[in-house]
Amino acid sequence: MQILTLAFLAVFGPPALWGADTQWVLEKSTLTYHVSHPLHQIDGVSHSARGKGVCHVGQCDFLIAVQVKSFDSGDSNRDLHMIQVARGAQFPLVTVRVRLPESAASQSTINADLEIEFAGQTAHYQQVPFQLTTQGNEAHIMGAIPAKMTDFKIDPPSLLAIPTKNEIPVKVDMSWRQQ
Amino acid sequence: MTPKAATMLALALALSISDALWAQAGIPTLSVTVSDPSGAAVPNTTVSVKNLSTGQSIEAHANASGEYTVSGIIPGDYEVSAAAEGFGIKTAKVSITAGEKQTVNLVLTAVSPTGAPSLGDLGFTPAQAKGSAQDQARLDKRSHMLKTHQRLGLITAAPLLATLISSGGAKGKNGSASGRELHAALGSITAGMYLTTASFAIFAPKIPGTTVRGPIRVHKALAWIHGPGMILTPVLGALAYDQRSRGEKIHGLAQAHAPVAAVTGIAYGLAILSVSIKF
Repeated sequence: MQILTLAFLAVFGPPALWGADTQWVLEKSTLTYHVSHPLHQIDGVSHSARGKGVCHVGQCDFLIAVQVKSFDSGDSNRDLHMIQVARGAQFPLVTVRVRLPESAASQSTINADLEIEFAGQTAHYQQVPFQLTTQGNEAHIMGAIPAKMTDFKIDPPSLLAIPTKNEIPVKVDMSWRQQ
Repeated sequence: MTPKAATMLALALALSISDALWAQAGIPTLSVTVSDPSGAAVPNTTVSVKNLSTGQSIEAHANASGEYTVSGIIPGDYEVSAAAEGFGIKTAKVSITAGEKQTVNLVLTAVSPTGAPSLGDLGFTPAQAKGSAQDQARLDKRSHMLKTHQRLGLITAAPLLATLISSGGAKGKNGSASGRELHAALGSITAGMYLTTASFAIFAPKIPGTTVRGPIRVHKALAWIHGPGMILTPVLGALAYDQRSRGEKIHGLAQAHAPVAAVTGIAYGLAILSVSIKF
């Protein structure tokens, strides 16, 4: 009987660990959007994203949010124009929600289904690949989100009456820590 | 009676006496107000008040307005927490001194039924997450005016160039009365369009808290050259026109008309380039 009990515990583990929640916290991030114009190539950078992931029974729900006004393209006039076209005063946050299996932490590439809220619109991006490297409790994620302005009903901004391209890819570089 | 029992009895007695009486008597009182991020009262809130030195605590439900008051509370350090179904727990520490009335406001944040993180979990306040239609309208107006400024600025470059070219027919040996008339007319059109263009930038709404960075600084600095230049040039041009019309050689201040016009034209061109070319 004792052998049976030991075998049961060996298979199912200590009861305290069943369904135990783990959390991930975004430690450091660099988000860079790229806008292409015949006269300019513009990169807007933000290091202000905040994020958290909660894992429960094998599934992890992540939320990342960043203020629209935190992106810096090196020109205050252009940044204000970008905030205006992205309706950033009315919808000040960009949020990204993603659900991943907890086992994804052991893979080198994650294909994530993203739900992005931006400019008062919600867009879904399926199977976006991210490179993942883990070391201890730290995870480093890199990739690019193939966003388009029209996905969020944003009219491409213009300079000297010439509009930018519709594509606005966002490079993602994030370091997460498991708690 | 043990000290613990005595304290509990004191707390129970304290709760049975009206707040007004305690307040009149200058007895320490702790008021707890519980609300959601919008400021609305959270019903069925459980409030707990724990004395941090003795570890003793009392627990009660806040009223329909989300308020709970402990009167006659013993001075000391306390931990006050509030919890309600569908909301996270909120805790605050408070020090009560003799004869003082302390108020603690606790704002409860809703939690997702699935346990997924919320914006509150990321530390964003409701004010940060909530936008302002008024601010957006100000930005929209600003962008609209600056777009008009850009377009008019480009259009104004045409009469400006024409004015500079026509100057050849208004001065020197080749100068004629009709040449001066044409030059003056083009100059007037340029000045009028320039002032209209400038007004769209000058009167565009300002966005508080914005630090000017990047090429726009050069663009604005150049405006301090071509702006006064666009006022001086026609004034000096009118002087020169009068002198030439009287058959006089251009003299005095009017001699500065051509150099001022050249500097103004160059500064204007550079101002357009400063926002067109990345450097």
